[in-house]
Amino acid sequence: MKKLLSVLVASVVMCGALFAGCADTGSESVEGGNTGSDFTVGAIYINSQNDTAGYTYAHHKGITTAMENLGLSVADNLKIIDNVPEDDEQVMTAIEQLAGQGCDIIFGISFGYLNAFAEAAEEYPDIVFCHATGYLSNDTNFNNYFGRIYQARYLAGIAAGYKSLEIGNNDLGYVSAWGTEYAETCSGINAFTLGVLSVNPDAVVHVKEISTWGDQELERQAAEVLITTYGCGVIAQHCDSAQPQIVANEQGVYGCGYNSDMSVEAHDAHLTAPVWNWDVFYQLAMETAMNESSASEFVSNIGGNYYGGLSEGMVDISPLTDNNAPEAAEAIALARDLMVSGEWDVFSGTALRFSGEAGSVTVEQVSMDLMDNENNIIVAGGEPSVGDDVIQGSMNYYVAGVVDES
Amino acid sequence: MRFHLVRRSEVRLIRKICLYLAGIAVSFIIGGIILSSLGINPLSYYRDMITIGLIGNRYPGKSVEGLLKLFVPLLITSLALALAFKMRFWNIGGEGEFIAGAILAAVVAFKLGDSLPGPVVVLLMCIAASVSAGVIGLVTAHLKVRFNTNETLMTLMINYIMLYVIKYLGETKADWNFFLREDSERPIFAKFPENAIMDGIEIGNFKLLYTVPAAILIAVLVYFYLKSTKQGYEISVVGDSVNTAKYAGMNVYKITVRTIFLSAALIGLAGAFTASASGTISTDITNNVGWTGVIVAWLSKLSVPVIGIVSLLISVLQYGCQAASASYSQIDHNFADLMQGIFLFSILAADFFANFRLVRVHTAKTEPSKASDGGSGKDV
Repeated sequence: MKKLLSVLVASVVMCGALFAGCADTGSESVEGGNTGSDFTVGAIYINSQNDTAGYTYAHHKGITTAMENLGLSVADNLKIIDNVPEDDEQVMTAIEQLAGQGCDIIFGISFGYLNAFAEAAEEYPDIVFCHATGYLSNDTNFNNYFGRIYQARYLAGIAAGYKSLEIGNNDLGYVSAWGTEYAETCSGINAFTLGVLSVNPDAVVHVKEISTWGDQELERQAAEVLITTYGCGVIAQHCDSAQPQIVANEQGVYGCGYNSDMSVEAHDAHLTAPVWNWDVFYQLAMETAMNESSASEFVSNIGGNYYGGLSEGMVDISPLTDNNAPEAAEAIALARDLMVSGEWDVFSGTALRFSGEAGSVTVEQVSMDLMDNENNIIVAGGEPSVGDDVIQGSMNYYVAGVVDES
Repeated sequence: MRFHLVRRSEVRLIRKICLYLAGIAVSFIIGGIILSSLGINPLSYYRDMITIGLIGNRYPGKSVEGLLKLFVPLLITSLALALAFKMRFWNIGGEGEFIAGAILAAVVAFKLGDSLPGPVVVLLMCIAASVSAGVIGLVTAHLKVRFNTNETLMTLMINYIMLYVIKYLGETKADWNFFLREDSERPIFAKFPENAIMDGIEIGNFKLLYTVPAAILIAVLVYFYLKSTKQGYEISVVGDSVNTAKYAGMNVYKITVRTIFLSAALIGLAGAFTASASGTISTDITNNVGWTGVIVAWLSKLSVPVIGIVSLLISVLQYGCQAASASYSQIDHNFADLMQGIFLFSILAADFFANFRLVRVHTAKTEPSKASDGGSGKDV
C-alpha cells in the first residue's frame, strides 16, 4: 500500500512540474506564431481532418494544397475545428473559436452550416466567410462556392457510352446517394445520362437510390442489384466509397467512380471518375482575401458566388484508364473544348452526337428538345441552357433515358 | 502471493482529495504521452485547453459564452438525472426528453414567435418543453410502478424514438413542415423568430444569457429541495428501500411519478434553453448531455454542489479541447472524447482506492482480515 501511495504522490509531483513548465513554453509558441505571414485560414469540417478519403478529405487536401501554393504554413496559419455537426449553436461556437484565434477567412464545407455562417458574417464584418454547397451570401464578406461537377459527369458519361457500345449492352447502372430530392444528385444523374446518349442514343441508365450520402453496405448491394437484376454493363456512382466499382470489378463489368481515381480499388473495371479540384477555389479565395484592404471587398473582388467548372479547373475527370473504348479519349476532348470555351453546355436545347472511328471522331451539334422522362419539354430545341439556379437548386426531374429503379 | 480487497472503515477527506488529484495527474500524463507520440508539446496543448484558448484571443468574451452554452444544459440535465437516480430510478432517457423539450419549444417559437412579445414567447417555450418532456417521464414512471416495467429499457428507447422524430422533421420537405426554411431546396431547420431567441445582459463584448443565472437558481432550488423538504426526504427513503417507504405510510406511486415528472421536465427545460439560445433546433442539439449527464451525476455521487463543479470541469474539458485542437493539425475533435474517457476512468479508479485497500494474503496462514472485514474481500 505504501508503495502504491508513493507512486501516486510521485505522479502528483510530476503533474506539478508539468504545469510549472507551462509558462516558459507558452511564451515561446506565442512568439513562434508571429513568424512568416500572419494571414490565418480557418476551416470547419463535418468529419475528421485526419480522414484518408471522402468529402472532408477532399476539402482538407484542397485547402492545404492552396496554402502550400501560396507559401502559407499549414502548421502555423491553418486552424481547424472538425467533427462539427450541422447544429447552429455548435457551428457558431466553432466560428467564434476560429475568429478568436485570429482567422482572416473561414471556410465551412457542409450544407447545414448555412444559418450559422450567414449570422456570423454579419457579426464579424472583418472576417471573410465562404460556405460550400449553400445558397446564402451577402454583398461584402460572405459568399458560397460549389462546382459544375455535372460537366465532369457528362464527360464520364461519354466514356461509359462508348463502353456500352463496345460490349453491346445498352443497360447502364447508377448508384446514387439521393435521387430527385437533391438537385446535386439529380443534375449529376441527368448529365451522366446525356453524356451516355451522346454516344449511344439507345442506352438506358438505371438509377438505384440508397437514401444516404455514404453506406458501404448499401452501395455494394445497390451495385449488385443493378448488375444481376437489370443486367447493367457499366456502373456509375454518386456516393462516398468505392464499393460500386469494387462490385463491378468482381462481376467483370465496367464502371465510373467518383471523387478519386478509383482504378486503385477497381483496376479492371474503372473507366474514369469525375473529380473535384477544391484547391482551385481555395487558392482564389485566399489570394483575394490576402490582397484586399478590407474583408468587405471580398465578394465584389471575387465576383460574387463561385460556381467554377471545367474551364476554371474546379472539376475534371481522372485520367482515362486502358479499359476505355478507343474512341472515348477523342470524344471527351472534343466535348471538353466545347464546354471550356463556353460554346456549349450540358442542359441546353442542343445535344452533342459523336460519330466516327478512333482517330477520326467528329462531333455534331444537334438542335433537339431536352425532355424529361415523363415526356415534358424542359428546354426547347436550340434554346440556351437552364439557369445555374435550376442546376443547383430546383432541378427535380430525370431526363429521358433515366429509369428510376428505387 | 495473493491480494484481497478490503473496504476501508473510515475514509479521511485529505486522503480522498490526494487520490483524486493523483487520478487527474495520471490522466494528464497518459494524455501527455499520447500527445507527445503525435509530436505535440503536451504543455502548450494543456495550457490552451485549460485556458479554453483565451490566451491571445481576439474575442475572449465569446469563448466564455461558448463555454457557458455547454455548461448550462449539462448542469441542468445532470441535476435532473440525479433527482431520479437518488430514487434508484434509472432514467437514461435524458437525450430523448431533451429533444422532446426542444421540439415543443420550437413549435411554440414558430407558431407564436411573431405574435407575442419576447419574454412571453420564451416563457411559453419553457413551459411547453417542460410539460412535454415531463409527460414522457410521467408515463415511464407510471408503467414502472404499476406494472413493474424496466425503466432503463423504456427510457432508453425514448431516446431513439425522439431522435428519429427530430430527424424526420429535419429531413422531410412538405407543406405542413413549418420547422424548415422555406427558401431552401434542401431541407434545413429554420431560424426562430427574433422574439423566441434567448436574451441576456450585455457586458461589453460578452453577453450573459439569462439561462446562466436560471441554471444556477435551479441548482440552488434542487439542493434545498433534496436537503430540506419533505418531498426530498421521501425521495431518499424510496431510494433506500421501497418497502421501508411503504411501511412508513408513504405513497410510493405518487412520489415516483412526481419525482420522475420533475426530472424529465427539468431536462425538457434544458432543451428549451438550448433551442432558444441557438435560435433553432437540430438533430445534434443535445450535444450528448443525456449521456454525459449520467456520468456527471455518478461522478458527483449525486451531490448537488459537486455536480456544479464536475459539470463545469467537463465543459472546460470539452470546450478547451476543441479550442486547443484548432491549432494542431494532428489532433481532431475525438481527442476531447478520449481525454474525457481517460479522466473519468482515472477518477473512478481514485474513488475505488479511496474506499478500498489491497491486503496481502499470507496463504500459509488463515485469513484474519477476512473475518473482521465482514467478508467483503475479493480475490484480485
